[in-house]
Amino acid sequence: MKEIMAVVRMKKTGATKKALVAAGVAGFTAVKVLGRGNLVTDPKAIEECKEKLLSMGMDEFSEAGDTEKMVTSFLDGSRFFPRRLFTILVHDDDVPRIIEAITKANRTEYGIGDGTIFVMPVSDAVRVRTGETGEAAIW
Amino acid sequence: MKCGKYRREKMADVCDMLLIRAIVRPEKKDDVLAELSSAGFNAATMVDVVGRGKQKGIRIGGMVYDEIPKTLILMVIPDEAKEKVIKMILAVGKTGKEGTFGDGKIFVSPVDEVYTISKGTAGL
Repeated sequence: MKEIMAVVRMKKTGATKKALVAAGVAGFTAVKVLGRGNLVTDPKAIEECKEKLLSMGMDEFSEAGDTEKMVTSFLDGSRFFPRRLFTILVHDDDVPRIIEAITKANRTEYGIGDGTIFVMPVSDAVRVRTGETGEAAIW
Repeated sequence: MKCGKYRREKMADVCDMLLIRAIVRPEKKDDVLAELSSAGFNAATMVDVVGRGKQKGIRIGGMVYDEIPKTLILMVIPDEAKEKVIKMILAVGKTGKEGTFGDGKIFVSPVDEVYTISKGTAGL
């Protein structure tokens, strides 16, 4: 018995739900969360986008330093963005199949910020309606 | 540990991972996250939650408040970083010198496998 936790983009919630149903999971829980990933260590990638965003974002009301700070935090990975956290309880054998389904549904061309999947062991589960425990409670 | 062995067989090139669930005061979350980020643990997920602890909530006059707002921070870190991360959260997350009731809890659980979707591979 395993618990799969997947953090995905808000816009990919529908695609992920469809993919999970197609992969045949018993059910899932989805929560709105805020998330961030690893810091962007390549300064060249930041500079390029930063110039573009600064030329768009400058106005006469806000201070130049504030705008730059905000744009930088958007690009270097230190800011939290809204994400959807899926929690799925699955049998051991289904783990690779479901991970593949989630990965396929969520991968984009940006190469960053697509989310992560964690697989954790679960010691027991109980179905409230019938009182079944263990593997029988999942499916 | 059984789960660790299962994971090691499947992901031999990745070190053991742990999930840290830290429940902290909402007003402390920025301090905690900034401290962790400066030490190189930038990746985190946070959720606003409500809960109560051993003290059964707060009793003010006749009113009992047992849905106290807190922030749940989820982080997956390598095994060897555990002590460091926990020490940091404990140091920054508490209020006052001695700490106060309601400062929160930290739970640590094992993680079998980790995948990054944008890379499409195993690992953080």
